[in-house]
Amino acid sequence: MASKQHANWSPYDNNGGTCVAIAGADYCVIAADTRMSSGYNILTRDYSKICKLADKCLLASSGFQADVRALQKVLTARHLIYQHQHNKQMSCPAMGQLLSNTLYYKRFFPYYAFNVLGGLDEKGQGCVFTYDAVGSYERVVYSTQGSGSTLIMPVLDNKLKAPSPLILPAKDAVTPLIESEAVDLVKDVFASAVERDIYTGDRLEIVVVKPDGIRREFIELRKD
Amino acid sequence: MDLHLDAPHSMGTTIIGVTYNGGVVLGADSRTSTGVYVANRASDKITELTDNVYLCRSGSAADSQIVSDYVRYFLHQHIIQLGQPATVKVAANLVRLLSYNNKNMLQAGLIVGGWDKYEGGKIYSVPLGGTILEQPFTLGGSGSSYLYGFFDQAWREGMSKDEAEELVVKAVSLAIARDGASGGVVRTVTINSEGVSRKFHSGDSLPLWHEELEPQNSLLDTLMPEDSQ
Amino acid sequence: MTKAAIHVPPKGGFSFDLCRRNEMLAQNGLKPPCSFKKTGTTIVGLIFQDGVILGADTRATEGPIVADKNCEKIHYMAPNIYCCGAGTAADTEAVTDMVSSQLQLHRYHTGRESRVVTALSLLKSHLFNYQGHVSAALVLGGVDVTGPHLHTIYPHGSTDTLPFATMGSGSLAAMAVFESKYKEGLTRDEGIQLVSEAICSGIFNDLGSGSNVDVCVITKGHKEYLRNHQQPNPRTYVSSKGYSFVKGHTEVLTTKITPLKEKVEVIEGGDAMEE
Repeated sequence: MASKQHANWSPYDNNGGTCVAIAGADYCVIAADTRMSSGYNILTRDYSKICKLADKCLLASSGFQADVRALQKVLTARHLIYQHQHNKQMSCPAMGQLLSNTLYYKRFFPYYAFNVLGGLDEKGQGCVFTYDAVGSYERVVYSTQGSGSTLIMPVLDNKLKAPSPLILPAKDAVTPLIESEAVDLVKDVFASAVERDIYTGDRLEIVVVKPDGIRREFIELRKD
Repeated sequence: MDLHLDAPHSMGTTIIGVTYNGGVVLGADSRTSTGVYVANRASDKITELTDNVYLCRSGSAADSQIVSDYVRYFLHQHIIQLGQPATVKVAANLVRLLSYNNKNMLQAGLIVGGWDKYEGGKIYSVPLGGTILEQPFTLGGSGSSYLYGFFDQAWREGMSKDEAEELVVKAVSLAIARDGASGGVVRTVTINSEGVSRKFHSGDSLPLWHEELEPQNSLLDTLMPEDSQ
Repeated sequence: MTKAAIHVPPKGGFSFDLCRRNEMLAQNGLKPPCSFKKTGTTIVGLIFQDGVILGADTRATEGPIVADKNCEKIHYMAPNIYCCGAGTAADTEAVTDMVSSQLQLHRYHTGRESRVVTALSLLKSHLFNYQGHVSAALVLGGVDVTGPHLHTIYPHGSTDTLPFATMGSGSLAAMAVFESKYKEGLTRDEGIQLVSEAICSGIFNDLGSGSNVDVCVITKGHKEYLRNHQQPNPRTYVSSKGYSFVKGHTEVLTTKITPLKEKVEVIEGGDAMEE
């Protein structure tokens, strides 16, 4: 007796990719590679994982592209409603809470999306929020998500964290690096991660948010 | 897309053996696939066992190759001990013995065909479990189901060599047209008192059946003509 | 099909009961305790006007991680025979080493150059005995007294003989190049160029393959192993400053120094024992 039939296909895929964000005193660096893959195939070498939600708030997401797109669409729509109702753009911490709520709303059929939200807060200071797939989130100084995160995180910890978690105060609000140093670090950790993670590669998109606007740059990564 | 590239190598195949007035004709397509990937488009599924006996293989490539290797070895030993060519019956019974004794480990449907001075041209079919059948003609592989009706209509007792060869090539090409697991070229082996002759019929020389398209130039040829390469 | 309904215990060959048990456990959700290098790979070979050319990429992977960026996948079989391996790295390594030693002993015994078919038979009979559980997919090439030969060998023990062949996860990408550009009677340079192009197609389009191109050219009485013939994937960015790793990231909680104490007294002079 076949009491329960299970679907033998999965509603999820993993399209790979890595995201990094670093918060500085008056800037925020958000970066992600542009490779999108499935299994051992490259679907495209030029797909941006970074979505601009507001003038001072960007979302970098890896995971399942269809869910990421659906999530971006919801956030963009909710932000549009917010602008009509309040006649201003959402702050980055507010967007952070909205993203958490949106993810938790689908607690039992989650968005397969691993997000890093970066931007500037109300005081113009860099801020980074990091998430799991069901909405648990935290404001941090720097973060990485996606297929190469396990390779990048220890390096960021070493370069950006206080020497030991046992020495207090444990963390500052922002990294001590200046902007050019942070961008240099991001480029280097990606060039390193690409050496060992097969799902990361092709091109690196770096977005720097500052009080006077956004700057976007690209560098090439390994294409194998 | 799941290609099942690690699936065992198998020959979704069309193999045919036909007796005629004076000998036998064996025929086969040339496609070997792993899942949906054509791993070899020019394989030779008609294997030599001795000078006068050949074997058509279908099913698992590994299993049918090992069976044919063992039978070839046993037959050559037998020939040395006997001091004369082996009969088709002995060859077929060796194939049967291995297929029957190891039926739980083998996935191989085989057709043995050849000529000897005692019984002339003979075809033996040895399907999956190790059954042995002496038949005037026999069909095997996934493409065979498309051919039974055709053979019931087209096969005649006492055909000439050319008629039999023509029939086999026509039949394999018909199966190639309908069976996705068969394809490539048509290979035939004709065995009679005079010896063995192998023939090769390339894919583009085969007749076009219902709704089949004329060979097209590839886009690569159009974009990069031969002289500019 | 009634065949599957009755289980007849096998009379000969090896027992694969434990393999079947492991498959059952894996199906019930048990994770294997260790991972091993299953190399997503592109390996190719072709026959040119005076011999055989083999090619391989140099990436070895463990799941999504690159375990070795510059490994050797073209294995030595005999002075005139080489073999590219795809599948589980340990299996390809073990099976080629084993057969290569059997060939060496065979040469000592016969005093003649090894033949490619000998290597082929030894490899296929080993792989067939293990019923596909030794996951080695091989491209075997060499030149012997009967001329140039190229074969592919699948994990289940089936073999093919072809003028050009590809294997591994990048085999489709590489075969696309061969199918569109291979022709009979290529020159040495054209052959190397085509092999490199096929490997590069695997390197760039298959995530399981990557890094550099290895090539091995075998001609009558001569061979040339072109290790890292092409290196199409250099590092794209190096930090201008380099790194200094500051001490103190792991905090020292306590320090205790135990001085080394002599437990054995060494008595000088040879006469001490005789007393």
